[in-house]
Amino acid sequence: MQYCSHCQVRIRGNKKDCPLCGNILPGDNGACGQQEIYPVVPPFYERHLALRIMIFVSVVALVVSFMVYALFPSTINWPVFALFGLISMWLSLIIVIKKRHHITKNIMWQVTILSFLSVVWDWGTGWRGWSLDFVVPILFVSAMFVLYVTAKIMKLRARDYITYFLLDGLLGIIPVIFLLFDWIHVLYPSVISVAISIIFLSAILIFQGENIKAELAKRMHI
Amino acid sequence: MRQRKSVEWTRLDNASKIFPATCGNKDTKVFRLACELYEAVDAEILQEALNITMDYFPFYKSILRKGVFWYYFQTSDLHPVVERESDPVCAPIYLDDRKNLLFRVSYYHSRINVEIFHALSDGTGALWFMKTLVYHYIRLRHKEAFADQIPEFKPNASISEKMDDSFGRYFEGRDLDILKLMDNPNKVKLVRTYHVRGTRLDENRVKVIEGSMSVKAALGLAHKYNVTLTVFIAALFIYALHKERPVRTKNDPVVLSVPINLRNFFESETTRNFFSTMNIGYAFGQESSDFQDVIQGVSGDFQKELTAESLNQRLNQLMSIEKNLLTRIIPLPFKDYSLRFASKIADRGITAAVTNIGQILLPEEFKRYIRQFSLCSSARMPHISICSYNDRLSVSFSSPFQETEIQRTFFEFLSEKGIDIEITSNL
Repeated sequence: MQYCSHCQVRIRGNKKDCPLCGNILPGDNGACGQQEIYPVVPPFYERHLALRIMIFVSVVALVVSFMVYALFPSTINWPVFALFGLISMWLSLIIVIKKRHHITKNIMWQVTILSFLSVVWDWGTGWRGWSLDFVVPILFVSAMFVLYVTAKIMKLRARDYITYFLLDGLLGIIPVIFLLFDWIHVLYPSVISVAISIIFLSAILIFQGENIKAELAKRMHI
Repeated sequence: MRQRKSVEWTRLDNASKIFPATCGNKDTKVFRLACELYEAVDAEILQEALNITMDYFPFYKSILRKGVFWYYFQTSDLHPVVERESDPVCAPIYLDDRKNLLFRVSYYHSRINVEIFHALSDGTGALWFMKTLVYHYIRLRHKEAFADQIPEFKPNASISEKMDDSFGRYFEGRDLDILKLMDNPNKVKLVRTYHVRGTRLDENRVKVIEGSMSVKAALGLAHKYNVTLTVFIAALFIYALHKERPVRTKNDPVVLSVPINLRNFFESETTRNFFSTMNIGYAFGQESSDFQDVIQGVSGDFQKELTAESLNQRLNQLMSIEKNLLTRIIPLPFKDYSLRFASKIADRGITAAVTNIGQILLPEEFKRYIRQFSLCSSARMPHISICSYNDRLSVSFSSPFQETEIQRTFFEFLSEKGIDIEITSNL
């Protein structure tokens, strides 16, 4: 065992210098044959490199689009579109990354955020109603299928997806408001969404009622 | 049709609630119990011992999940797997939404490590788990030696006692009014305390410098000053912190946070959290900075804080905050923010921390297989953890900073008093 004459302590492991005072130890390094006490853990260099590249590409794309617009002006202010496009993409991507360990939660977050974004885009581009007509109801319905397929493929247990099924079923009924207040021009998607949701909800409540009750008791306890 | 098994879940106890909210890369709220043997660890036998241990500690199969208002533990059927140590000391265990166990067992050469996320258990609880694991490991590893008679090792509690939420059992916390608490005249005024500054280590790693020495020698030294070992180490720590700090902070008090094992005051055998903390300080601005005086001051503080009365009052306060209707109906994300904020405020009043989990007892026959035990933890501020086995006292100094002046002063003081110290360091 090595000895630091400054601190008057013995030092275990293959150390070149004293962990306390930092002085070089007199011992014949490496040849003292001591066993390492702790493993050497290499640093984790390349962390988030892909993400950094994406941020860089976004910044470049934005700068170039504004530059081109400044040099060759047009009637539509399309760099602003590029800006909002990028913001939308990042919003969605951040959720994907943050919730990556919880797939069903992730899907529900995506449905919510994409519905919200589509309404914002529709409103920002002159409110032609395509978001409520098509996007929102189609998102709700497809989420039901995606959730179901994911749950089956990943062999998830009822407790891991049941509340999200319930949540999506409830969201799917929302287009009934669009119908009642006459906000939409095309009926099919909303009617289908509401119908499927009600059938879906009744199915999970009838067959998985106890599970849902147990899950809610657990998640909502105060 | 498959039989439906009802989902088992439990609430977090009062002390656990802070940990999921405040853990992060800078402070993972993970602590490590290590047991060093005299011979290399056999991974297969360790795995076997772990499988047996798990049967005694069903609560350790819990995973942590987010509800709308609170976190909760949910039972899982994950099986812990023993691994060769490959992560930094006290690497993160609980990560949002990831369904993994809240502890890990690893080994390196002759050392067995158990790392635990603090929400699952406190040091005392984890020690029971560790002792059971080591007991079964040595029993299996040295079957021939124990052929005639296997040393006795009784589980010290029933399974349900181990899973007990002792905070809920002992503290009602209903008779206290939060608003009254706010303008409590006895409330200690927040004074500026000394904070150690330094260069953070890369990737927020923890620097662990562990000094092991003879229990007898250290106790002898403490008794020379007429104090217990914990008081002596706490006072020496305060002294070392004071000695190495810049002049312009010389008058700020140095305050240590010291956890109290509530099992010593209230009957409980839980392996979950059952501890509280007290603050032990020394006002250098007003008092002399002589070591003898520091020790007197610290000793007095310990006596004042360690009474059932002051514990009862503090814990009932904490409980009443938890049970308050307003606190309960705040959604979880907001709770997380407020807890983080509250813990930042509390941290302002603390310079460093000291933990002593005391003497570790195992059957006599095991002494020739076990070299020493040690305890260390993740650190947002310097933290000393103490434990002893046989005649080996291990004093682990964890710090988030590169600088080692405080550690040097601390251990040099001991070596100058003639104590033979063995230093182990992870970085």
